[in-house]
Amino acid sequence: MNEALQPMTAVLEKIVPMVVDNSLFTFLPERSIPVAPGQFVEISIPGVGSFPVSACELVRDSRIVSCIRRTGRVTEALYNREEGDAIGLRGPFGNGFPLELFDEKDALLIAGGLGMAPLRALLHALLDDHKRSGKIVLLYGSREPGALLFYDELVELSRQGRVDVRFSVDFAETLPGPSGGVFCRIGLVSELLSDLDFVPGKTVATVCGPPALYRCVLEELALIGMSAAKIFATLERRMRCGVGECCHCVAGGHYVCKDGPVYSLEQLRCMEGAI
Amino acid sequence: MFDSAVPSSPLKQTVLDDLLISLGQNRTLWAPRTEPDGFCRLQLAREGPLPSQSTLTFIPLKKLLLPPREAVWVHRDGCFHAADEPEPFAVVGVPLCDLQAIWYLDQVFADDVPYRARRAKSLLVGMSCEPGLDCRCDGQLMPLAGDIFIGQERVWAISAAGDALLRESGFSAPVLDVPLPWPEGTAEKRQDLSGEQFYSAADASIWAEEGKRCLSCGACSVVCPTCYCFDMQDEAAVDGTVTRHRIWDNCFFAEHGEVAGGHDFRPGRANRLRFRMEHKFFGFGELRGQNSCVGCGRCRKACPVDIDLDRIAERLIGEAAS
Ligand SMILES: Cc1cc2nc3c(=O)[nH]c(=O)nc-3n(C[C@H](O)[C@H](O)[C@H](O)COP(=O)(O)OP(=O)(O)OC[C@H]3O[C@@H](n4cnc5c(N)ncnc54)[C@H](O)[C@@H]3O)c2cc1C
Ligand code: SF4
Ligand code: SF4
Ligand code: FES
Repeated sequence: MNEALQPMTAVLEKIVPMVVDNSLFTFLPERSIPVAPGQFVEISIPGVGSFPVSACELVRDSRIVSCIRRTGRVTEALYNREEGDAIGLRGPFGNGFPLELFDEKDALLIAGGLGMAPLRALLHALLDDHKRSGKIVLLYGSREPGALLFYDELVELSRQGRVDVRFSVDFAETLPGPSGGVFCRIGLVSELLSDLDFVPGKTVATVCGPPALYRCVLEELALIGMSAAKIFATLERRMRCGVGECCHCVAGGHYVCKDGPVYSLEQLRCMEGAI
Repeated sequence: MFDSAVPSSPLKQTVLDDLLISLGQNRTLWAPRTEPDGFCRLQLAREGPLPSQSTLTFIPLKKLLLPPREAVWVHRDGCFHAADEPEPFAVVGVPLCDLQAIWYLDQVFADDVPYRARRAKSLLVGMSCEPGLDCRCDGQLMPLAGDIFIGQERVWAISAAGDALLRESGFSAPVLDVPLPWPEGTAEKRQDLSGEQFYSAADASIWAEEGKRCLSCGACSVVCPTCYCFDMQDEAAVDGTVTRHRIWDNCFFAEHGEVAGGHDFRPGRANRLRFRMEHKFFGFGELRGQNSCVGCGRCRKACPVDIDLDRIAERLIGEAAS
């Protein structure tokens, strides 16, 4: 049996629609596998293909929860499945976020679009860690208010004072009211940084979103005074194997599937063509 | 450096003849043969004499270990099953550079079950060669894989299986310290391109020039004994059985560097040519720093527009020096 390339059966237990073309899928694999925040699994639909997807919740009781966007052939096929159907799943792959670095620090999470999915798993891990004393700030940019993922949950966390949440949208006919003290503005997510009061030397940042977000935010954080070794981003590549063989995910000489997908800005600077 | 680690014993022709015959007894036996069209290919060696020397086949041996289309799993009755076990085979007459290439693939696919299964069922017998005009091999580039190497006067036991076979056949116990007979003198010595020279010359004019000439046909990767990238493809049979195949892919193809949303990390032919060269000369992941161009010259023979990575390397070295 090919341990790495052969999936195991997983039951698609639950599908919860969120915003247009984005649903939350709960999978119950036949064997429990630990998927840490920032790691990913490959979902296989026999006869169609497979794709990589991050866990968007901490894995408890074997269940893997992912927020998946309907974007092409294989994700479309998953959307056509029903609760109770079986699919294939293999993993976990990748390195995951460096949780230990957040211990004594404040956490600055910056998400663009679907980048909120893997960051949500990190957010849950940070909230779960009762030894942590640092604060958590989440800046989350989206196309429009209706596309913000996990909106109610994030507003509730903000209301409880557990996370300082700030939204930005590219455009909006009407902005959502300042619910639960959450504030939303029109513009780029990077613009939210200017209103922020944080100590660069005491903060670890993680950015997750499309390449355009990385190009503007990562170096800006370094300019503010953060160490490049404390700024992280996750790379997205077209992944076929997940185990450092097929070469589809290579960036700057790294197999993003195996050595990544989470890299520090310090590493990214030496990885030509990474972002 | 690597050679002295391979034990050898004196050759005994009669013992060798018996050994070669026995190789084909319970496995498919392949050997290189030059055909009327001038190309040397691996052929089934059921009839005819076995070679006493190796000849570089235009299509490398990797095609037997990493077939262009290979089942990795089968989905039937709601369950995922392993693909069928491969059949045993042997190849006689493999040149040294190709044995290095197999060592490299062995590292890349160290944990890959289908590859390991094929390797476990394969017996590779190297033989000394007559270097051709395009040969630029280097015995110090990396170790060799394979089982047995047959020279003019000695036989070398490369693997434990090879060692056992030689002893069973009646060769005397092998001793260390006789180096493998790498061809000397004739092969052109390649210049060493450093990572710094390569990466600092990202904008060198040679990339635009060669990128314009390169057709992105991918022929060089197909014939390269150490190129291995692949894609996956599902095939459903009438009864609903689904087989997932891995199929050869090629970093020269436009979609290779694409991600969601259509963004392409290697949009131009120059980007892709440079990517292949980066992979060949500097390696990826754990093999970073290992040059995997064994100097066989196949890519130069295959390229319709005569692109030569070593010439590009020379230009980049010159560029960095000026
Ligand atoms: C580490 C990692 C984590 C990810 N996490 C999530 C997640 O949590 N939620 C989510 O919705 N998506 C996630 N993605 C993206 C997801 O894998 C792609 O959207 C998915 O592969 C599209 O598959 P498809 O067959 O439906 O689309 P396709 O029909 O194949 O193509 C749609 C588009 O996606 C591109 N694409 C195809 N295959 C891949 C691939 N394997 N990786 C990246 N792009 C691809 C194509 O070039 C095309 O532009 C992640 C990707 C990576 C690499
Ligand atoms: S790059 Fe060319 S010369 Fe080098 S191993 Fe591949 S085919 Fe042979
Ligand atoms: S064989 Fe030559 S033309 Fe074809 S992709 Fe390779 S370098 Fe380019
Ligand atoms: S996805 Fe295959 S090498 Fe990374």
